[in-house]
Amino acid sequence: MQSTSPGTSAISARGLHKSFGTTEAVIDLDLDVATGAVYGLLGPDGAGKSTLIRMIATVLTPDAGAAEVFGHSVTDQRGKVTPRIGYMSQRFSMYPDLSVAENLEFFATVRGVSRADRNSRAKSLLESMGLAEFANRQAQHLSGGMKQKLMLASTLMHSPDLLLLDEPTTGVDPVSRREFWRILAGLHREGRTVLVATPYMDEAERCTHIAFLDRGRIRQSGTPEQIKAQVPGRLLEVASAEPRRTLAAVVALPGVDSAHLFGDLVRVLWTGAADPIEALTAGLGGTDASLTVRTANIDMETVFAYLAENAPADAAAVSS
Amino acid sequence: MKASLTRIGAVTNKEFKHLLRDVRTLAAVVLLPVIQLLLFAYAISFDVDNVPTMVIDYDKTPASSEYVRAYDASSFFKVVAHGDTLNQVDTAFDANTARVAVVIPAGFGETIAAGDKAQVAVLIDGSEPNSAKISQAYSVALNQLYDQSMTKSWAASQGLDLSGIGALEPRVRTWYNPERNSTIFLIPGLMAVIIAIVTVQQTAVTLVRERALGTEEQLLVSPMRRTELMVGKLLPWTLIAFIDVVMVILLGMAVFGVPLRGTPLVLALGSALFVFASLGMGLLISAVAPSAETANIMALMIAFLPSFLLSGLAFPLDQIPVVLQWFSGIFPARYMVTISRGVFLKGSGFAELWPELLTLAGYALVMVLVAARLYGRKARA
Repeated sequence: MQSTSPGTSAISARGLHKSFGTTEAVIDLDLDVATGAVYGLLGPDGAGKSTLIRMIATVLTPDAGAAEVFGHSVTDQRGKVTPRIGYMSQRFSMYPDLSVAENLEFFATVRGVSRADRNSRAKSLLESMGLAEFANRQAQHLSGGMKQKLMLASTLMHSPDLLLLDEPTTGVDPVSRREFWRILAGLHREGRTVLVATPYMDEAERCTHIAFLDRGRIRQSGTPEQIKAQVPGRLLEVASAEPRRTLAAVVALPGVDSAHLFGDLVRVLWTGAADPIEALTAGLGGTDASLTVRTANIDMETVFAYLAENAPADAAAVSS
Repeated sequence: MKASLTRIGAVTNKEFKHLLRDVRTLAAVVLLPVIQLLLFAYAISFDVDNVPTMVIDYDKTPASSEYVRAYDASSFFKVVAHGDTLNQVDTAFDANTARVAVVIPAGFGETIAAGDKAQVAVLIDGSEPNSAKISQAYSVALNQLYDQSMTKSWAASQGLDLSGIGALEPRVRTWYNPERNSTIFLIPGLMAVIIAIVTVQQTAVTLVRERALGTEEQLLVSPMRRTELMVGKLLPWTLIAFIDVVMVILLGMAVFGVPLRGTPLVLALGSALFVFASLGMGLLISAVAPSAETANIMALMIAFLPSFLLSGLAFPLDQIPVVLQWFSGIFPARYMVTISRGVFLKGSGFAELWPELLTLAGYALVMVLVAARLYGRKARA
């Protein structure tokens, strides 16, 4: 790896713009990703996450604006950018009729990895990802999670400093998702920079930085803590026998900013001055003997629900 | 340079793996040429013989019977039925049991005996123009011959000696293919069509496939150049096309007795250039086609049909409309058919065939360059 001193910029984009026909996919977007970060791009389908990643990966030319990867332009200096990035597209893009080992071998060869490095890296990557026993299996016969791991292994064969991962865990089972993030955490410890798009809010917690995209623009960005800090008050969970009735009662109470159902629980965002547990127990008490109130940690799900409700008018449609 | 060769090698290696794992395609590219060759050589022959012929003899004299025997004796006509009325001709033509009908009017024998000109009607089923044309020519020739022999025998019977009378007797010889065997004529041309089908059709889908699989994007983030990808993809198909060519030539020579009169070197060079031109055409289709289905249809439209219909393979180019003659010039198959026939049948060499060779070389170069250019433009859009 080259020049990975912390603090220098891995990605720096200014005024990026891309439309497809009449659809503006990415609008006048600025993005800064520091070296060593695990930067999460969150947002619903069609927010522009893929378009943004593909422009940074040099596979899509922006209509306007400029982006640099480690100081090199993604449009004029592709030859200097591509050796240092690993790009994993959203859809499976390996040869289905080639085996796991053959896919790794082919893509590493065209990327100029020496034979000795190809063999040793394929071996260690497959082992660390638990794919070693499937090395000779054709890619088309892999499970969804294994396919994603094969793609990640392929993007790592030339040991890139920056990984651009477009929804690597979409459609993958929860166990494989955790496994995938465990691998990403390892790459982060090695000092690699990761830009990862995901529609899953829980994955945002694992990032060092996040940006929330909606309809081509970044609406919020910062560390998960900074983002969470934008939510005022405290989060409480109310368990009751009849959550729907409790919800209706809760929103009428003074001090409650908002409330919504979360499984069998009612989640309450409390911005009142009084102690929320006492106030809520008192306010709802008597109707239900089994009612309990406890405080909860604010998670990303809550943050984005809050941000969506309090967003400017043109950014109202936010979902997870 | 070394890095470039490594990348091309990786692509070629990968293409071979795709091919070896795709049994259907492999069977198609190896068996198709053989099947086509056999089909053309045996089934789609333009030779005409044993044309089913019906005879309606209203005369029923020794003279008319002798006349009918002249038809029976020729290998071209085969008398399959004798009828009594003209209606039976209609029925026979409709049922395809006869293609030619000879009608001898009553009084035929008497007229000849009197030394006058007798008339016979020859009816030909024109629904198949090729054999109709040949049937007509044969029956005219047969009647002329019969006419001559009758004149001689009539003169002899009158005690005249005709040997002193000067007569014009044409001696027609056909060069290169003396038996005018259409198989010998077709196989060298067929070679061009088979190459076109294998190469254009297969390469047409190859780049589209990379796009459909999404692997194109992974190649875009590699240092591989577009031309490297194309050359890497061309090499395996060049080899397969050559195997097909050799197979067709050997089968043609060994089984069908096609002569190889010219130098194989000219044929090899012509084939190589034609293979590259066809592959380039396939890549061009692949670079612009939005889907594999479209690529397949485009390949059929611009490779198979023109090389079949506008190459001179089946129909002589100077007999098709002028506009189509110009049109045929933009498809490389016609040059290859000329080269192939020239080398096989006429023993032509560089001296005669250099314009075609040069055209093919230029064609191949332009195709690959344009394909690389268009392919690049399509990416990153």
